[in-house]
Amino acid sequence: MSPLRRALVWGIPLLVWAALPFVATRHIVDLLVFAGLYTIAGLGVAFLLGQCGIVSLAQSVFYGIGAYCTAWFCAHKGLPSPVGVAAGIALSTGIAAMVGWPILRLSGHFLALATLALGIIGQVLFLEWDWLTGGTLGIGGIPRIAPFGFAFDTPLRFYFLVWPIALLLLVLHHNLLHSRNGLALRAMRDSPEAAAVLGLDIHKLKVQMFVLSAALGSAAGSLFAHYVTFVSVDSFAIDRAISFLLLAVLGGVYTVWGPVLGALFITVLPQWLSRLGDIHAFVFAAALIAAVILLPEGFGGAIRNWWRARAAK
Amino acid sequence: MSLSLLLQSVLSGLTNGFVYGLVGLGLASIFRGTRIINAMQGDFALIGGITAVLLLERFGWPMAPAFAAAVAVGGIAGWLMEVLLIRPLRRRGGSEDSYLLLTLGVAFAVSALVLYAVGRDSHPLPGLGGEGIVVIGDAAIRTHALWLIAISLAAMAALRLFFAKTALGLSMMAAALDAEGALTTGINVPLMRTLTFELGGLVGGLAGVLVGPLVTVYFDMGLLLTLKGFAAAILGGLANPMGAIAGGVTLGLLESLAIVTVSSGYKDVIAMAILIVIMIAMPNGLLGRRLRKGG
Amino acid sequence: MTMGTETVNSLLQIVQVSHSFGGLHVLRGVDFGVPAGSITGLIGPNGAGKSTLFNIISGFLPPQRGTVRFDGRDITRDPVQTRTRAGLVRTFQTPKVFGKLSVRENLMIGCYRHLASGVVGNMLRSRSSRVEMELMNAQAAEAGERFGLSEVMERPAGQVTAGMQRLVELARGYVSRPRLLMLDEPSSGLNSTEIGQLRELLQRLNREGITILLVSHDMHLVDVASRVYVLCFGSIIASGAMAQIKQDEQVRQAYLGV
Repeated sequence: MSPLRRALVWGIPLLVWAALPFVATRHIVDLLVFAGLYTIAGLGVAFLLGQCGIVSLAQSVFYGIGAYCTAWFCAHKGLPSPVGVAAGIALSTGIAAMVGWPILRLSGHFLALATLALGIIGQVLFLEWDWLTGGTLGIGGIPRIAPFGFAFDTPLRFYFLVWPIALLLLVLHHNLLHSRNGLALRAMRDSPEAAAVLGLDIHKLKVQMFVLSAALGSAAGSLFAHYVTFVSVDSFAIDRAISFLLLAVLGGVYTVWGPVLGALFITVLPQWLSRLGDIHAFVFAAALIAAVILLPEGFGGAIRNWWRARAAK
Repeated sequence: MSLSLLLQSVLSGLTNGFVYGLVGLGLASIFRGTRIINAMQGDFALIGGITAVLLLERFGWPMAPAFAAAVAVGGIAGWLMEVLLIRPLRRRGGSEDSYLLLTLGVAFAVSALVLYAVGRDSHPLPGLGGEGIVVIGDAAIRTHALWLIAISLAAMAALRLFFAKTALGLSMMAAALDAEGALTTGINVPLMRTLTFELGGLVGGLAGVLVGPLVTVYFDMGLLLTLKGFAAAILGGLANPMGAIAGGVTLGLLESLAIVTVSSGYKDVIAMAILIVIMIAMPNGLLGRRLRKGG
Repeated sequence: MTMGTETVNSLLQIVQVSHSFGGLHVLRGVDFGVPAGSITGLIGPNGAGKSTLFNIISGFLPPQRGTVRFDGRDITRDPVQTRTRAGLVRTFQTPKVFGKLSVRENLMIGCYRHLASGVVGNMLRSRSSRVEMELMNAQAAEAGERFGLSEVMERPAGQVTAGMQRLVELARGYVSRPRLLMLDEPSSGLNSTEIGQLRELLQRLNREGITILLVSHDMHLVDVASRVYVLCFGSIIASGAMAQIKQDEQVRQAYLGV
């Protein structure tokens, strides 16, 4: 690809992205911020499914841990935001490693349902341990991220915080896929037996990926807390985990930018449907079903295949 | 812990256990017949329960026909699901993950649909034997609960007979064990698969009308029921649907005992933790039959 | 005819291995050793227990009795991955390649166990990660040439011929620098020309220092072995050079029912 073409292919979307929040309404920008947050959390679920074949419904737990750690360390203790984020990630990855080690020996349905069970355990504990989480009353007064006095306190500003982070993570993910461990993951997915014969430690890789996924969920949760400044248990129930899974499947788990598409879908769609009442949950579920049957590689995969077919002509 | 509290706990554990067992029975039957883990088995119960609620409240049906119809609707839902959703996926070469995602999607869809249609309220159902209770020693159990246990056992016996003695049941077993072989003997294997789902739907619907009077019918009851039913099925050995009842009873008793020792808010946490432990420690069930892990 | 259990320099030593499935005794007190640097053959009629023995040696099945020693170490209870990392690599009767990965990627994966970059380093494209990828690519290319796969390097491994898949599996094993290469019926599905080529390939690999243990029905292929063990009904009934084996009475009975 010529340098000019390359500049256009990358430059134009970049310009559009940068200009968008200035021309869209505040409400739309708010949705786009959520899309960014969900991209980060959804990326965790997506690569777990796409690279390791693991269906995870536990992401809401790590999302919640990240949010509550931020709430605790920043709202209650008045510490700066990196502390909350780091604490969230430390706790989430620790739990993911401890719990992941035994359950990732399971396979297929057992594992998926185990993650669902984890999601429910998390949901109930968030509710029951209200001395920690504030229960349904929640924790408020979470301070904004404000390095050197510049507060990310509007949707517009947060948009320019969350999306660069999301894009950076996507790049890191891309690097991983094209590395030795990325190749190992694909091999593992393709034929676990042959992988074992070659000396690949499948279990260890899966645990590493699960821990990574948890870190992403937690980071997203911390950012979420700083954005909405108030967190309560309703945000960390199983339906949140379902949304993350949905956006991963819809966006496509075999392309790096699939989660972006999926996240945009699940934030924008409820807007359009709000006129119809509480129907969006059903539409999401129907979209998941349709995606599984008709578009197994998600929007991302469909677009990529279409692009390749065009290039082949 | 006092004896009467223990007794009460055992009775309620037994009751819940049979419900979990019924759900597990449906799950295991579908798994044995199609190798698919139906993540919306608990939502068949929701479908049955909510149908009964609607027929009784909105259409004023009497109890027996309403319950019967509700169970039938569960079966119809199973049939629809197999024909409209599972078959197309099979045609397109679905992987194990995709069947799971599909059934999960249907679980969420059913739950969301019920939410949209009737809202977040819990809907009570009248019990068999009304509000009557039976006193055993120092503890009490609802008459309906006794009916529940009796009907569950009857259902299990009926299914056993069905699979072992009837031509249709034997055909379904044959199709499940060896699809290609069954085809060559003239068994309509695709139809058997559909019937398996219908059966699962019927059993699920039955679970719904039986559990509804005890815990009320509400839009997100499905997921938890599915998970507990799954635990019951694994405990009983996934390859053996009848074992699910025993597994369910075990789970129900464990759960009840846990509630009286810890607090009731943690009931589901304990059940979920038990599920995870079972999957890790006893994937072949209590009887330890040889079985592939994870399906 | 000696049973050859106390071979000095045995890279692989099987000691009194027994196994039964249900009531069926598949292996009864099997003893043999594979000398380092040799090509050793294992032959026997169908149902003799060769696959079971192979599975036990490679770690897919724990033996009910007996020990497996590799390079002096007892590996009887070691998982498959550990044995592979110690240098014991096996192939399968039906080649197990990564179907959706390209041939080149299949070969690259063979290098996996020798490299050590972590996941985080991979994500950050650290210097060591990039160097590793180059190394893997180079080794894959070299192996591809050596095994005659250069033309199909970019094709998905699932879409090349069975004969080529076998070569892919072999090349992939070679890239992982094995000390002992265990080949399970490597000639099945190959025509006589290809078998001849395989024979030469095995001799070349052996000259480079790779010890080979070979299970095969094909007498022409097993001919390259310096020593052959005959397994019949779970026991070693004969061992020695091919010429000797062919003359052995028990062997003739086992194979020909004479």
